[in-house]
Parts: sequence; structure tokens; C-alpha cells
Amino acid sequence: MIVFNQANTGRVEYMLDVLGIKGFTFFEQVQGRGTNGGEPRRGTHAWPEMNSCVITVVDDDKVPALLESVQKLDMRNREVGVRAFVWNIEATV
Amino acid sequence: MAIYKSAIEKPVTTVLIFVAVIVIGVFSFLRLPIDQFPEMDPPYITVMTTYPGAAASEMETNVTKIMENALTSVDHLKHITSQSKDNISVVTLELEWGSNMDEAVNDVRSFVDMAANNLPDNCAKPVIFKLSTSSMPICQYSITADETYAGLDKILNDEVVPQLNHIDGIGNISLSGAPDRYVYVNIDQQKLDAYGITLEQVGQVVTANNLNLSSGTIKMPQEQYQMQVRSEYIESSEIENLMVTMTPQGQQVFIRDIATVKDTIKDLSLDEKTNGREAVRLIIAKQTGANTVQVCRDVRKELAQIQKQLPTDVKIEKIYDSSENIQNSINSLEESVLYALLFVVLVVLFFLGKWRATIIIGVTIPIALIVAFIYLGVADSSLNIISLCSLTIAIGMVVDDAIVVLENITRHVERGEDPHEAAIYATNEVWVSVIATTLVLVAVFVPLTMLSGFAGIMFHELGWIVTVVCCTSTLVAITLTPMLCSKLLKAKQVHVDEQGNLVDDEAGKRSLYERTVVRMLDKIDDVYARSLGWCLRHKTITLLILLALFGASLMPVFMGKIGTDFMQEQDNGRLSVTIKLQRGTRIEETLKTARKLEARFVALVPEIQLINTSAGSNDDATIAALFSSTMNNKIQMTIRLPKKWERDRDIWTIAEILRQEMAAYPEINEYQCAVSSGGPGGGNTVDLEIYGYDFDKTSQMAEQCRQLISQLPGARDVNISREDDRPDIKITVDKEKASRLGLSSATISTYLRNRVAGMACGYLKDDGSEYDIVVRLNEEDRNSISDVLNLSIPTAMGKTVKLSEVAEVGEYWAPPTIERKARQRIVTVKATPYNTTLGELAEAIQTQVVPQLDIPVGYSTHIGGNYETQQDTFKDMILLFALIVLLVYITMASQFESLRMPGIIMFAVPFAFSGVIMALWLTHRSLDMIGALGLVLLVGIVVKNGIVLVDYINLMRERGYELNEAIQMSGRSRLRPVLMTAFTTILGMVPMAVSSGEGAEMWQPLGIVVIGGLTVSTFLTLYIVPVLYGVMSRHGDRDKQEALRKKFIFMQLKVKDKEPKADTEKSKA
Repeated sequence: MIVFNQANTGRVEYMLDVLGIKGFTFFEQVQGRGTNGGEPRRGTHAWPEMNSCVITVVDDDKVPALLESVQKLDMRNREVGVRAFVWNIEATV
Repeated sequence: MAIYKSAIEKPVTTVLIFVAVIVIGVFSFLRLPIDQFPEMDPPYITVMTTYPGAAASEMETNVTKIMENALTSVDHLKHITSQSKDNISVVTLELEWGSNMDEAVNDVRSFVDMAANNLPDNCAKPVIFKLSTSSMPICQYSITADETYAGLDKILNDEVVPQLNHIDGIGNISLSGAPDRYVYVNIDQQKLDAYGITLEQVGQVVTANNLNLSSGTIKMPQEQYQMQVRSEYIESSEIENLMVTMTPQGQQVFIRDIATVKDTIKDLSLDEKTNGREAVRLIIAKQTGANTVQVCRDVRKELAQIQKQLPTDVKIEKIYDSSENIQNSINSLEESVLYALLFVVLVVLFFLGKWRATIIIGVTIPIALIVAFIYLGVADSSLNIISLCSLTIAIGMVVDDAIVVLENITRHVERGEDPHEAAIYATNEVWVSVIATTLVLVAVFVPLTMLSGFAGIMFHELGWIVTVVCCTSTLVAITLTPMLCSKLLKAKQVHVDEQGNLVDDEAGKRSLYERTVVRMLDKIDDVYARSLGWCLRHKTITLLILLALFGASLMPVFMGKIGTDFMQEQDNGRLSVTIKLQRGTRIEETLKTARKLEARFVALVPEIQLINTSAGSNDDATIAALFSSTMNNKIQMTIRLPKKWERDRDIWTIAEILRQEMAAYPEINEYQCAVSSGGPGGGNTVDLEIYGYDFDKTSQMAEQCRQLISQLPGARDVNISREDDRPDIKITVDKEKASRLGLSSATISTYLRNRVAGMACGYLKDDGSEYDIVVRLNEEDRNSISDVLNLSIPTAMGKTVKLSEVAEVGEYWAPPTIERKARQRIVTVKATPYNTTLGELAEAIQTQVVPQLDIPVGYSTHIGGNYETQQDTFKDMILLFALIVLLVYITMASQFESLRMPGIIMFAVPFAFSGVIMALWLTHRSLDMIGALGLVLLVGIVVKNGIVLVDYINLMRERGYELNEAIQMSGRSRLRPVLMTAFTTILGMVPMAVSSGEGAEMWQPLGIVVIGGLTVSTFLTLYIVPVLYGVMSRHGDRDKQEALRKKFIFMQLKVKDKEPKADTEKSKA
């Protein structure tokens, strides 16, 4: 799962394309706030920005590359914000 | 999809939509007529009734009163005034400005019809006139000639007027003072008596020899011919050789023996002179709805053409041309608009320091303004002073929304986002609040469109234009601005170096702008933040100081330094002088005075370009003569001066010089020297109205008032409306003696008329025109009372008697015109303020003159005139002000979802007033209607600054900053936007305030008021609003946390065991 500032949408999609990740599920307008820094994204008057979220199921060997790319994206502009979380898929149909 | 997103995703459509808007706007702009004011119908209706033979007082009781009573129930009636003269009664209704005149006329007609049954039998049917703009002249020319003067009438009527009539939209063209050709047969009374003939016999001879008559048909063997006697005069000299009678001695008596025949121009009754030369005044009116500027321009062109065809000594000179003033005013306002645009763009460039950003902002201005032209086109309005003033006001405000959007997008881009995405998401964050601030402005300007009365006409358009422009600018700010940002803004220049590090290309590089302006602005931010910090620590002292400042700034008002006016008079370079000599003064004597004055005026005021003088009256009474009251003892002058920037002295100084000159002449009874303002509502006068029935008493009171008012330092041109009694010669026929001689009063009066005024004896035809032939006595036989007594009257027996044998001749005083207002007799004493304001003069009259009057029971006084209109308008304004304050409060309260925040922000408004007062005091201006409008506008503009600040403080507080820290941070961060929006508005108004163009006097107060109010309130808002915020919400936040703690008490529960008890407790909470 990659949670990112809306403003990063284009870059995240580009990243997935480059990595050859075809499938994903995209959630628009999700809220959140960071534990270590990271401005809240609540879509309110005080915190007007919003996040989006992509859940993509990839093979285990692609995970490190994906995480590295996310880190690169975060380095590109830290204030905008992007985070990735990895967990296992038990089963799928 | 949200509107801004569509705009960004579809740049071509967005751009083309705005291009289309611009095209339509330019199209409307090109077709917009130019005018001085928005279209307005003067709300006057006049009902005129004639009742032959009735004296003024009979007229009053039998006609005027009946009409007045019937007409008082007309809808929207404001004042009813009337004049009753001998034979004629004129009732004038003044309705509320802006009433539907067609409806009103219908209304009046039905009331008049109802009342007509109660009028005396011999009364003519009342005539209803509607005073319309088309009855007022738009330009006047004087035509002078030397040798051809006698033939001028023919030239004008045959060549000039027909050519001018071709012009589109031209209305009535009238000539004043045109010389009429007349053939006079002046008979010597003694010779008539000696030959025993009567004047009528001579007249009959003259008439009988001047005819064309068909005398049947002559049939010849083959043909047939019409036969005609053609013996009309070809030349006037033929008359001399007619034989009148034969003496008993057989001597033939010809006309040349007893009379002189003069083929000349009509005797003087109305005299027109321009710069001392014989002149004819050409008065041109336009059709209703025609465009003044266009018609005047065409007239000018046409006259230049005509001039070439005229004899060389005929000169056409302009007396005045109202289009010139309009054109100049509009030009100077257009200039102000352009300067305002330039200033605003410069301010934006200064604060943003980026030309791309400046272009993006700058584009919104022309688009918003062009939409205003579309509105004007759709509303069938014109480019006028009001619409252009509105544009100037709007210019400073249209950029605000775009700036907010642009700023947020820039912030995102600087974080390293892609401009395209930044544009979408940054606009999303602010677009709601952008619309909300616009709503505040709409709350200020929409009520303007609901004003009634005179102010309604003036400000209706302003309200709509600013509303339309502001809404457009908001629309542009959330569509075109983000779209342009996504295309024009450049993403931050970065690259990745060999080690894979992100390198900011622009780091370390600092432009000149950053080194100078940004450093300076940073310093200002620092200073402000520090001073704000101090204020926050010393809230009480700060508030006390601010209150003291506020109190001190009100001092000029209490000291009476700020006067009030209705509207500023304009220096149009035109003066009208009206002079009244002793009643009954012979026209020739009046002219002598006029010539003397002309010479003195030119000597005293060498700037004078043209003096047009008319004196006397035209005896063929026309409707136009009803409105102008030139009499044989009155002189009316129009003086044209150069444009105000071409001379050193202003028009008021010059008027004062002329007044002092006129005061020195003993023969001048009353004089008035009025600065002709182009504006509606007439002159700038205070009228003291005295109501009461008895003539002598009210006249006496009026005279007393006049003397008292004249002693006031600021009063000039003090005049009484009631005319003095006019001396008439009254002939009383002794009926018994007359009837013994076979005469009646009727025949005697006809004979007298023939002898004095002349007997009309047909026409002399020349070149298609007819000229009157008049037979009358020599002037020296009829210019004294004894001459009149000595007139020979033919009797029925064929003899003659002297008038003295059948009648008595005496002098008596004709009663004056009876004026009434509100169904009471009235005398008005008018005064014009000089070096003081209308309000002050009215105040002085009210406090110093009225108490000194001895007002008997049943008599009353009232202050009217423009002062009354001003008071009404101010009352409207105060109401409007209250309405606007309430609406703005409601808008803000719903925006902040708080009743307290708007209160804090509104605290800036009184400080705007102190700024206004200081500005007026420093510039020695008075508060007039336009200035009062500025005050109303200030509410909206001032509040906007406060909103920006409070909104941000709220934001910081929500983000969890400490109160004082949040306030200080917000102050620091919002200082620039506040200064920027304030400066754009202030500098946008500067061209208006300093403009010296023609008509600038009128709108200068608006500029001064807004600049003064906004400057002071902006600086004080920066302190008062944060400090008040601090005072009012000191405990607020701590309480909020406490309240939350109390609300969610489940957290205070102690979990004792692992039973699911806690859960039930929790759900209870």
C-alpha cells in the first residue's frame, strides 16, 4: 500500500509503470496523519490537503525495488509526502 | 469534476471561452454610447391651465387650488409646486427620482380629467407636459454677423437649420434673437389728424393693394385663359406711393405724405449679443434616447461644413457644448482606469517579483473589466461617470482572488510539485474561501442596487458593475488563473548529481529582486512581528492608545471642520450670470447696463473667451418662453472661460470677482452668478422657504431673510423668488361716454392696439418668405402717458376723438406671480455657498437667521433646495450603511461559524472612518454624496483585510499553536498579502483622487475617502485585530480542551477487571 499526497499522483503512476506493475487499486481522497512528522492531511480548514492511496499486489522480488522507488520519490520532495507499507497476501481469487 | 479541474485539463476550451468573452466585451465596448450620467428621466410633470381674463389671485383660487387638490394623490409624489399668474396657472409635480414617468403621466392625466369638471367654464383644457431630457438644450452656438445681420434670419432658416435637421437624433432646433424682417409704416399722428384720416384707413389701403386674385376665365375663340389680378408688393417702396385719400380741395394724399415706410428688422424686444456683436443664438436639443456626444459631434462637423457656404462676415461660435465636458470627463476617467491598471500591476510585480506571476494576475483585470462592458451593453447603459468610477473602484479588488490562488499554487510548486498537479490541488484548497470573500463584497455592493431616489439612480449601476466584476474575477481566479499557472509556472529547477543527490539549481543564486525587495520585506515582517509581540504583551495599553487615536481623529468633526455638500460643483469653464434691474426698466436701458457690464467683465477677467448676453423677451410666446423668463429688465449672460488647466484662477474666484463688480451698480436689483455644473439636480443652493398667505407679510419676511442671509460670510447670490410688483399702465374706459360715441371697450382696445403695437396689414413676399407689414404710429407719438391720452380714436360717426375724452389712463402695480408649494403660498430665498459648504450654510441659516425672524402664527419656514435632497440622500446612505454592515456581519459569521470573529474584524471599520475624517480634513474637502458612497464601500474593503488575518490566526490555532505564537506567526505571514491587497486598492484610487481633468471635482472625494480610510484602517487593522483576537479568545482554547475532557469522560474511567463492563460504560459516555 502506498499512501501519498494527491500532488504526487502523477509520479506514483509513472513509478508503477516504470517498474512494470500493472495491477493496482486506487483510493482517492483519503485522510491521514503521520507518526514521525508528516503534516495531517484531513481536507479541513486547518489541514486542507488530502492523500490518495494505491494498493498493489506484486511479487516478492519486486518489493525492494518498489520500496526504493518510493524512498526516492520521498527524497525528491519531502514536504509533499509519500509512504509505503508492505504486508502479505494470504490468498486471492 | 470540479470547475477548476476541468479548466486545467482543458486549457484550449478555457482560453477560447475567455477569448470569446473578450471579443463580445470589445464589441459591446465599441457600441457603448458615451454619456455623462446613467439614463435618467427628470421626474417633473407640469400641468398648465389657461383661463383668459382671470387675475393671479382668481387663478389661484379657481384653478390652481383645484388642480393641486386633485394631483396630490399622484403616486410617488414628492413635492407639488405651482405658479399662478394672470391668465395662466402652472402646477409642477416633482416625483421621486426613478419613478416610471409614463405611468405617472397617465396617472396625472386621469386626475386632471377628473378635476376638469370643477374648473370654471371658460377655462381651457389643462395641458400636461413631461419634462424630458430632450427638452433641454445640449449645445448652443452663437452666430454673429456684421453686414449680413439683417438677412441672417433667412440664411439661418433656409440654410443652417435644414442642414442640421439631417443629423440623426437631433431634436428641436430653435433660434433666439434672430432678426425678423418687418415692413413698418410709421404714421405721424398730427398729420393723420390734419387730413382727418384714421390709422385704420391707411391700413386698409395697404392691405387692399396687396393681393393676388383670380378674376374668372377668358374664353377666346380657340383658347381659354385664367385671369388673375396680381398686384402683390414686390418691393416695400411701392407702399409709399399708394394714395390714401383726397382732401376736399382735391389734393391727393399719399402714404409718403403722412408716414415713413421702413423695410427693416423688427423692433427690439429680445437682444442677443456675443462679445458685443449682434448675434443669434442657435439652441439645439436632442431626441429622447439619442446620444449627446454623437449628436454634438455631428452638429460640429455639419456647422464646419455650413460655415464655408456662408457669407464671410457670418461667424459661428460655440457658446457651450455639453458633449465636450462629457467627453473630457470620460477621457480623464478612462485615463484614471488605465493608470489604476498600471499601478495595480506594478504593485503585484513588486510583491511577487516574478513576471510570469504578474502576467497571470494582470490578465484577470482586463477580463473582469470587459465583462463590465458586456453588462453595460446588455443593460442598455452607457460609458458614463458612474460606470467608469465603478471600474476604478473594482480594479484594485479584482486581483485579490487571483493573488490568493496564485500564492497557494506557487507555494506548492516551490515544494517541488509539478505545476499541473499543484494547480489542481492548490486551487482545491482555497477555492471555497475565495468564493466566500467575494460574497462579502457582494454583500456590500448588492444593497447599492436597491437604493431608491436620486442616489438610487446614481448608485444602481455602480452596485451592479462592481458585483459583476468581482464575481467575474472570482470565476477567473478559479479557472483561468490555475490553468495559466499550470502552463506558465515553471517547476523548481533541480537535477541529480553523480552521487545521486538532489541538487537545487536555484539554491545560492539570488536575484537582484531577492537581494533588495525581499530583504526589505523580510525586515518589515520582522519589525511588524516584533511590534505585534509587544502589543500582545501590553494589550490594555495598546487598546487605550488606539482608542485615544480614534477619539482624537474624530475631533475635526466635533470642531465642525468637516462640512457636508450634496455634490461638488464642477469647474466647467462656464458661468451663467442673471441680472435683474428695476422692474419696468425699458429694454434699451437694460441693454446699456448690459454693455457696460460686458466691458467691465472683460477688463476684470481677461480670461473670458466669449460672453453671450441676452436681454428682453421674445414676444411671440412659445413653450420655451414658459421655462425661460427673460424680461425687459433681465439680463442673462453665458460666459465661457478657457478650460481650467489653461487658466490660473478657478471659476469660483472669477465668479466672486464678477459678483463684487455687480454689487457696485445701484441700478442692479438682484444678481446671480452661477457656476454651471453639468450635473443633474440644478444649482448648489440652500433654499429658505417661507410659507404664509399674506403677500405683504411674507415679502417682508423674505426681504428680512435676504438681508440677514447676505450678512452671513459664506452666502452669495441671495435672491428672493417672488417677483416685484410690475408697474402697468391701466386704461379705464368711461363706458357712458364711449357708448354715446358708439364705441365699446372692445373697439377701443383694438384701436389702441393698432396704434401702439401696430396693425397687421398682410405680408411682403420675397423669395418664398413672407414678411409682416405693420402700420402703426411713430414712436414719439406713443412713448409717454400724455401721448397715449392724445391718441385719436375713430368714432362710429366717422369723426375722431382723443382717448382722454373717453378713458382715463393710470399707473398701477400688477400683482406678482403667486407661487405655492405643498398647497401653501410660498416665497423662497435662495443662497449659494461660497468658500463654505452647503451643510454649513444651511446650518448657519437655521441657527442664525431663522431665530431672528418674527414668525407670526400660521406662517412657517423650512430649509429646502439641494440641502434637502442632500439630507434625504444622507439618510438613505445611513440606512444603506446599516444594511451593509449587517449583511457583511452575516456573511462573515457564517464563514467563520462564529459570532465573535466578525465582531473582531468589524472593529477595523471605525478606524477607517478616522482615516476618512483625517483625509478630508487635510485636503479641506467636505463630505458629499460621492464621498458618503466611499464610506459605504470602505466597509467591504476594510473588512477584507481583517478576514485574511483572522482566518489565518484561526488556522494556526487549529494547527495547535499557542495563542500568542499563532497570532504573531499569522501576522508575520499575512502582512504581505494584506499590504498587497490594500496597496492595489489604494493605488488604484490614486489616479482618481489626484486627477485634475474636467469633472474631476465630482469623483475626487471618492478617491480621497477610500485612500484615507483604507490607509489608516490597514495599518490599524494589523494591530487592533490581532490584539482583540488575543483579548477575546485568551481563555477560549483552554476551555475548549476542558470541554472536550468533560465530554469524553470515558478516558477517566479506571479499568478494574477484564469484564466487558468498561465497554458498557464507554458506550454510555
